Amino acid sequence: MAYLVTFHWGWLLASLLLGLAMGWIAVVHRGQGVSKRTSWALAVLAAALVAVALARVIPGRPGYWLDLGLIMFASYLFGCAVGSWLRDWALSRNPPTA
Amino acid sequence: MHGLFRWSSKWWPGVIPLVVFWAIAAWTSTSPLETDLAARSTSALKDTVLDKRRIAVAGRDVTFAADVFSEDGRRSAVASVEAVPGVRLVNDETRLVPEAKPFVWSAERDVVRVTLGGNAPLPASKGRLLEAARAGLGGVEVVDQMNLSRGAPPHFDNAALLLLDQIGKLKDGKVTISDSKVSLSGMARDLGGREAIAAALKNLPEGFSVAANEIKAPPYIFQAYKDPVAVTLTLTGYVPDNNVHAALAAAAGRRFFSEKVVDNLKASLGAPSGFAGAVVPALGALSRLSTGTLVVSDREVKLSGDAFYDAAAAQIRAGLGKDFPQGWQFKADISVKPAAAPVDATVCQQLFSDLLAKGKIRFESGRATIDPDSAGLLDRLIETALRCPTANIEIAGHTDADGEDAFNQTLSEKRAQAVADYLVKAGLPANRFTAIGYGSTQPVASNDTDEGKAQNRRIDFVVR
Repeated sequence: MAYLVTFHWGWLLASLLLGLAMGWIAVVHRGQGVSKRTSWALAVLAAALVAVALARVIPGRPGYWLDLGLIMFASYLFGCAVGSWLRDWALSRNPPTA
Repeated sequence: MHGLFRWSSKWWPGVIPLVVFWAIAAWTSTSPLETDLAARSTSALKDTVLDKRRIAVAGRDVTFAADVFSEDGRRSAVASVEAVPGVRLVNDETRLVPEAKPFVWSAERDVVRVTLGGNAPLPASKGRLLEAARAGLGGVEVVDQMNLSRGAPPHFDNAALLLLDQIGKLKDGKVTISDSKVSLSGMARDLGGREAIAAALKNLPEGFSVAANEIKAPPYIFQAYKDPVAVTLTLTGYVPDNNVHAALAAAAGRRFFSEKVVDNLKASLGAPSGFAGAVVPALGALSRLSTGTLVVSDREVKLSGDAFYDAAAAQIRAGLGKDFPQGWQFKADISVKPAAAPVDATVCQQLFSDLLAKGKIRFESGRATIDPDSAGLLDRLIETALRCPTANIEIAGHTDADGEDAFNQTLSEKRAQAVADYLVKAGLPANRFTAIGYGSTQPVASNDTDEGKAQNRRIDFVVR
């Protein structure tokens, strides 16, 4: 894991920034979010993929690509969470006048 | 927290660019990552002894194939690769090299090349053996047909290196190590090579033993050629050492009283045992020939040439082999020199005097036994006597003035008689010879010096 982080720090940083941006936007976004049922399904899918990666079931290059995707996705999720939280915090200090 | 769930339902649009990023990252990084992992795995195995190492990386999975030399080595090699950061899985395709039983290694030399074959325990020792072969046998092609195997005896490398050294001393041949038994065969390059190899084998490492040493050496040759025209005796070939050389030269000087000895002998190891014991009597036999060649090859003595008369030829044929040390063989190819033309009594006297001026009939000190060294001279005296069949010959014995006159008188008579008997035994009629002793009454030189006394002790042939 440490090796992947040092080897792909650029891509991980890009994912993190993408996440921050998405998180920042999501707080004030008015569009339709995914339904609760769908998000559960997605969470289960993510957990399954993590389980598959940890079990090292997929060999060779696909296995590596899975690891890479998951670690980038994790970085993205973290960015989203931080971005949303920051936006929320910023809004609570300066409530929009409109 | 509740907010986070609410917000997260709207995070999905970012996943689309994320997937694009992911695709680009996977596309660009796979190959560098695999290269990096291969390099790290290779360097992790730097200190592990392996053969035919092959590392293939797919994603983060390393396929590791190699020949390993022990179960421990295999475990530690796989563990080293597993410990490389970033490696996810190791496909262990290592193979334990087969165990050779018996563990055989060989080095074979022919004219232009040395072939190393059989088994070697480790790549390093294989490399060392090849390097030693190339360094030790300058200019000779070294062919490597060694396989790697387990099961080498302890100290194998040292034993093999020592044997490689010996290969340099062979013209052709083969050395083999089978477990801890060493066998050698072939032909040594030089005289003495066989002995040098036998001596070196004493330094084999502990546990090794020589099962068979069948190294042959080139024949040990000694030659002597008696040339009646140039009046020389030419000695060529080898002698074991300087002592034997001196002994042979002295024996040749005593027996070849008129010939000049041309000594081209060289000292070399590798003489068969009993060399001097056979060559000295053989030289004696050669001295009795008019012209002849003596060839000693290992333990075979060949004498060929012309004797002065029939009885001498028979004596030489019958007598020589008896004096030889055990294991020596004697081949005589002796003919008889055609009889020289008869001469009258005056010429005969001249011939006798010439011969006796060049050499003297010697006796054991104080006794009347003829020294065998004088056989050559006696043969020539007999040949001369045969040339004047009508002449009657007085054989006159003389002594120096030392000792009592009566003793000297008797001694001179006995010595003259011994010579007369010798001539009769050679087939000359007894009535032609009169043996007379003069004691010390007819000196030819002063009895005051050793030299003069030696001149006075003599046998004269007087034609009457």
